[in-house]
Amino acid sequence: MISLLRRFSNRLSRLFRALRSGSTLRSLGIGLFGLLTAAAIVLLQPQASAAATPHHYTELEFPPLSEIQLPDYTRVQLDNGVILYLVEDRELPLVSGFATIRTGSRLEPAEKTGLAGLTGTLMRTGGTTSRSADEIDLTLEQIAASVETSIGTTAGSASFSALSEDLDTVFEIFADVLQNPAFDADKLALAKNQANGSIARRNDDPDDIAGRELNKLIYGDGSPYARTIEYSTLANIDRQDLIDFYKANISPDRIILGLVGDFDAETMKQKANEQFGRWQPATSAAPAVPVADPSENPGLFFVDRPELTQSYVQMGHIGGLRNSPDYAQLGVMNGVLNGFGGRMFDEVRSRQGLAYSVYAAWSANYDYPGIFIAGGQTQSENTVDFIRAIRTEIDRIRNVPIDPDELKAAQDKTLNSFIFNFADPAQTLSRLVRYEYYGYPSDFIFQYQRGVAETTIEDVQRVARTYLNPDELTILVVGSSEQIEPPLDTLASDRSVQTLDVTIPEPTS
Amino acid sequence: MRSVNFWRVFPRLSHVRRSAIAVSLAAICAIAVWSVPGVARAADSYIQRTIDRVTDFTLDNGMKFIVLERHEAPTISFITYANVGGVDEPVGKTGIAHFLEHLAFKGTTRIGTTDYAAEAPLLDRLDELHDEIERKKAAAGDSSGGIAALEAEFAALETEASSYAVQNEFGQIVQRSGGVGLNATTSSDATRYFYSFPSNKLELWMSLESERFLDPVFREFYNEQQVILEERRLRTDNSPIGATIETFLDTAFAVHPYSQPTIGTAEDIANLTRADIRDFFETYYVPNNLTVAIVGDVDPDEVRELAEVYFGRYERGSEPPQVTEVEPVQTEPRSIEVRMQSEPWYIEGYHRPALDHPDNATYDAIAAILSDGRTSRLYRSLVQDKQIALFAEGFNGFPGDRYPNLMLFYGLTAPGSSVDDVEVALHDEIEQLKAEPVNEVELDRAKTQARAALLRALDSNSGMASSLVEYQAKTGDWHNLFDQIEAIEAVTTDDILRVANATFNEGNRTVARLLPLDES
Repeated sequence: MISLLRRFSNRLSRLFRALRSGSTLRSLGIGLFGLLTAAAIVLLQPQASAAATPHHYTELEFPPLSEIQLPDYTRVQLDNGVILYLVEDRELPLVSGFATIRTGSRLEPAEKTGLAGLTGTLMRTGGTTSRSADEIDLTLEQIAASVETSIGTTAGSASFSALSEDLDTVFEIFADVLQNPAFDADKLALAKNQANGSIARRNDDPDDIAGRELNKLIYGDGSPYARTIEYSTLANIDRQDLIDFYKANISPDRIILGLVGDFDAETMKQKANEQFGRWQPATSAAPAVPVADPSENPGLFFVDRPELTQSYVQMGHIGGLRNSPDYAQLGVMNGVLNGFGGRMFDEVRSRQGLAYSVYAAWSANYDYPGIFIAGGQTQSENTVDFIRAIRTEIDRIRNVPIDPDELKAAQDKTLNSFIFNFADPAQTLSRLVRYEYYGYPSDFIFQYQRGVAETTIEDVQRVARTYLNPDELTILVVGSSEQIEPPLDTLASDRSVQTLDVTIPEPTS
Repeated sequence: MRSVNFWRVFPRLSHVRRSAIAVSLAAICAIAVWSVPGVARAADSYIQRTIDRVTDFTLDNGMKFIVLERHEAPTISFITYANVGGVDEPVGKTGIAHFLEHLAFKGTTRIGTTDYAAEAPLLDRLDELHDEIERKKAAAGDSSGGIAALEAEFAALETEASSYAVQNEFGQIVQRSGGVGLNATTSSDATRYFYSFPSNKLELWMSLESERFLDPVFREFYNEQQVILEERRLRTDNSPIGATIETFLDTAFAVHPYSQPTIGTAEDIANLTRADIRDFFETYYVPNNLTVAIVGDVDPDEVRELAEVYFGRYERGSEPPQVTEVEPVQTEPRSIEVRMQSEPWYIEGYHRPALDHPDNATYDAIAAILSDGRTSRLYRSLVQDKQIALFAEGFNGFPGDRYPNLMLFYGLTAPGSSVDDVEVALHDEIEQLKAEPVNEVELDRAKTQARAALLRALDSNSGMASSLVEYQAKTGDWHNLFDQIEAIEAVTTDDILRVANATFNEGNRTVARLLPLDES
């Protein structure tokens, strides 16, 4: 939750920076193509000569890009189990690194929801046994370096960034934070106060309400993949809980460390051994990952916000995993539905003018099922039309084979931009670590590339029919009951609209 | 004021990435730390190496290009910067720069249509019908039977016109060709169009981008109007902070058009016509008002040859009108209160000079000392020690910085605290800045962080393209992107005292309080 809070403050600063100037990009393909985030170096041959006259784009031909070359990397394992990936990158005098830790908020007890997030925050903000938090802040910021930690749903993370001249100082603090956190009581009180504050603000943005409540409807209220931190769960957490969670979860045999930048790999390996080699591995096995047990609540749900002039619509059902044999085909399906020339954008936004933002995408996770999610925002009176328009597109991709040109367009988008997954060595490094953490093959991204290239029209229809179940959709609308006309129950012939109460439960004490 | 994007996709799925973007943005914008002399000086040779790889040229028609060679990966980032934004909009036509930005994705006479010759008269006829309907509505109130018939004709004609349109073909060509990051933003100051290509597609960008502004067709105007009205509802009407900021700017600026909302008022958006857009385009999208930056795996000589061939087609136009309004000195405090479904926010702004003012670096240092990191004064005081704010910061350049603007502060109340608590604590810190010189260590920290932030930005093609073009357009010379580091280096504790005392006065302050609906 502290990561929540950090996310919140990041969002604020993003919001303001966006208000100020203008660069909040939301990039396409976050869900599916999130997997395609990564790195490497290829030098292209200089291009052939320039034209003397202007050409329309259809008249141009392009030399092929050279083959993608992965940066050299080293993988070693220390005696205590720490797995180390090293990639040299000498372009700038900078070094960065990150540890991926085998833990996650899905391992915390439900009555202490928020414990993992707090532990992740306090590892950094709560100081270490030999350094106060304020001392760490001052040391790092004085040399424009950073060390940060967090624990999310499926993994923990610790990262650092430093000028290479300050590497030793920063790397030592990074190692100290991971191995010897002190969980200062005052800093815990601060973090809990911040968490309370973000609970109080969680209904301020209608989009946040929609996302959070849809998750609960699909995964189940109490699911480790959807439950939310409450005043009561926060009150159940004390300092000893953090210490215990840390002890039970964080040890060298559960860490993959990725390092990239301006260093000699051999020397860096020695530094890693010096800083991490004496850390004792855990004596017990890592806790088992809880299985997602979706509760599936098909039907229409509504959160009444009388002040809104727009409806915030999110609809979805349980999705799948990235290592599904159909993952690439589902990626192509996403490409047909989304992006410029995608059906959602062309039809619902550009042709019908119903929304600024509209989408429908299969989103898969690494080790628990993602969701199929569609939605957007539309003015209140168009709510029913908007939901129908989305539903129409879901039905169409299931029932009618896509055009050959749509297939080619979706494939081209992924294949012709593939090089951008290798624009920076850090991308390759983080991908290698992620694949190892979740037990995926190191060439997974290339398997995906091949899968996209081989996808057929029949494949797209087959996966759409197999994986999209329009009758099972949970449809959630956050909007104004007075302004939505025709009313939502026009959509629900056999089921009534269920109203959700999102009032934040007050602290019990 | 606020910058608005052409599109967003999968908003919900992008949380993680969005945070990452925020962090890197913060790093790029951040100007913060220190100096044992020599710290971060290692950065200098790398910064110099980058400067050495920048070239620029101006076409005969006045269009300016900046090129930075980076051969680390076979990719190129492009940005076209039109020196026009919300600030240039006439009263009654707010939102026009942003509307034009949306229509710049609709294609040309050859892109986005199956048959322009057949389509063009339909588009003209739609405009005539629209005018006629509006005239009749104005004359007859809303009850004329003739209007319904005209509206039916309009709808049928729109369907017919739409049958010739190829929706979003421009964007689809870019994406199919391997383009990523395609988007555009409009702010008070400027309109930017950008994306990246694999490096074998340099000439494709030249062709597509030059045709885009040589021969644009503003088709699907009426549907896009609805899209933009939805965007306004999303960003402003249903966003407590968006709505508050709109009122706040209107209060803080009495004369200067920084008071205007870049997205436009709903009324203005609804009243804009295709002819308005065309006029605005012809006035402001002249080559002498455009700047391009190209960063990545390119040969600068080839860029120049191609630019002359493709963008040399543009004819130089008259210099666009400049904003002449000068905001008078504010002498009395102003404040507004907005009540919406939201927990409280406290916001205040102080007028300050434009980006090209010699004190700009001092303002940057002040923002850094107050706001950057866990050692910053506002974090230490309001967030950590007093625990009255969940988050608090101050930053420069709101809503833009081409003209004299605001240094803006805001804080979100922590549980049990009020906006008044935040106000008092914020003023304590600001008064402290006026009363005593800042610690040299703090100032040095700001200087080191500024240098390091620039160093960290050097390896992003799109980030460098964006920064180079912005400094060129706003200060007349891209070198200022790098020279600002020296300017910050030169800031003294006396400068900070002087500027703080000149700026942070009650009479120069505008306050906004966003409060919940149910708080009495």
